[in-house]
Amino acid sequence: MSRLQHAFERGKFVVTGEIGPPKGVDLEHCLRDAEMLRDQVTAINVTDLQSAVMRIGSMAVCAKLVERGLEPIYQLTCRDRNRLALQSDLLSAWAFGIRNALCLTGDHPSLGDHVEAKPVYDLDSVQLLKAADNLNQGHDMAEHDLDGKPNFFLGAVVTPAAEPIEPQLIKMEKKIQAGARFFQTQAIYEPEKFEQFVNGVQELEIPILAGMVVLKSAGMAKFMNKNVAGITVPDSLIKEMEETKAEDRKKKAVEITARIIRNIKQLCQGVHIMPLGWDELVPEIIKQAELS
Amino acid sequence: MHATIQKPIEEIDSYFRPGEKVFVVGCDNCAAKCHSGGIPETQEMAARLQKRGVKVIGWCVPQPAGTSLCKLSNTKRVLQEEYGGHVKQADSFLVLACGQGFHTVMDATDGGVVHPGCDTVFGGETVSDDFITEYCSLCGECIVEYTAGLCPVTLCAKSLLNGPCGGAKDGKCEVDRNRDCGWQLIYDRLKAIGRLQQMKQYMPPKKNSKWSRPRSLTLGDGESTFRSLTGEHTVRNRD
Repeated sequence: MSRLQHAFERGKFVVTGEIGPPKGVDLEHCLRDAEMLRDQVTAINVTDLQSAVMRIGSMAVCAKLVERGLEPIYQLTCRDRNRLALQSDLLSAWAFGIRNALCLTGDHPSLGDHVEAKPVYDLDSVQLLKAADNLNQGHDMAEHDLDGKPNFFLGAVVTPAAEPIEPQLIKMEKKIQAGARFFQTQAIYEPEKFEQFVNGVQELEIPILAGMVVLKSAGMAKFMNKNVAGITVPDSLIKEMEETKAEDRKKKAVEITARIIRNIKQLCQGVHIMPLGWDELVPEIIKQAELS
Repeated sequence: MHATIQKPIEEIDSYFRPGEKVFVVGCDNCAAKCHSGGIPETQEMAARLQKRGVKVIGWCVPQPAGTSLCKLSNTKRVLQEEYGGHVKQADSFLVLACGQGFHTVMDATDGGVVHPGCDTVFGGETVSDDFITEYCSLCGECIVEYTAGLCPVTLCAKSLLNGPCGGAKDGKCEVDRNRDCGWQLIYDRLKAIGRLQQMKQYMPPKKNSKWSRPRSLTLGDGESTFRSLTGEHTVRNRD
């Protein structure tokens, strides 16, 4: 059983982190980021060609984390692989000691740096979860038996602030039926909206890790408001960042993230912190959020 | 209808060897509606190429009016009988039509050298005289019964079958913020017609073998047979 699954089963408030593999083979920086999360988080997401930008793969970096005794959450998107490759990669990941898999649709290639790439999407995230769950049960999508089966702890994502929310909720329920055992959410900045969402999904009885994207600047907040689906940074937070001197921004970022976590921690089973390179702030965020 | 758009004249021009005698063929159905290969465009293409020094020996858009170039029997009759002299004289044919019409000219000229004058861009609905848009991807496995008549394979940029991704913002697609999210359209319509329950149903992955190419259809007496990598599939069209 993965440590992540074990933590949920013990009813522990779970903290997960995230690292992004680099473009190239120099993993030093990325593994240093992961080291900063050691003893702070239960598991670390490793993104899969995030933003559809070609990089070293999630599986390789996950395997490096396993080697170092860190627990990865293998992010797997439907964008680049057909059902043969997705199932095969899951089996390969298991062989490398990877025990958690987060199944995602994936950003469209047109948003990344290889815009002429063929978008695959042979499966969608619900179908991928079902395929992964079938592997757990010992057979593939063609209903052939496996010689040795994995036992992945499967996760999925949801956007609590999507408008309208109903299609997201319908899909969330389908993901649970397909095999999702926990959820990580899109970044949360508005505790009241998150509360509404949580109240709406309580009967699903599924662990939810609230997404925390560390706010680095007012500019970043405005950019996300304009461009990123399902993220709304309230004006009050933008103002707070604007009034912060450049040299105090990291301190402010910690303060804001910790405050949001304090406001929502009664509502969910944990938080997923996405520090976007400011990994050194995670211990202080956890401390100020009164999680340690 | 098969939507087509003309290739750039420079690219078309580059296909011909010096002195190559070219006969230009258009289509009076889809390509005419797309203004890529109707009578005026075909006539004009002949003149444009001549102006660039290409040896154009003639042109035609097989009639009767409105006939598709991809109807082999008609295209063959027109090219072999009405334009037999030109066809014999031609070194090659430039086709202003879709890829099916293009191949029809190859068949109608018994394997003649054929150059494509258009890119075939999609199969679409002629919404108005000046707007054609895509609602079907010709996937071989129609699921619109469950999606309020709107095809997610076509209208969703990722062809997702079980609901929207997290990328839509204000009902617009992450790929292009001016384009509607296909799943938003499906959700709105399912709700409007009181069938939202259908969105909760799990949609299994597509059978891509039905999408395998090339596919064919054979028409018999009261029955049709579809061939793809799934094998032969025969249905009765009448009792």
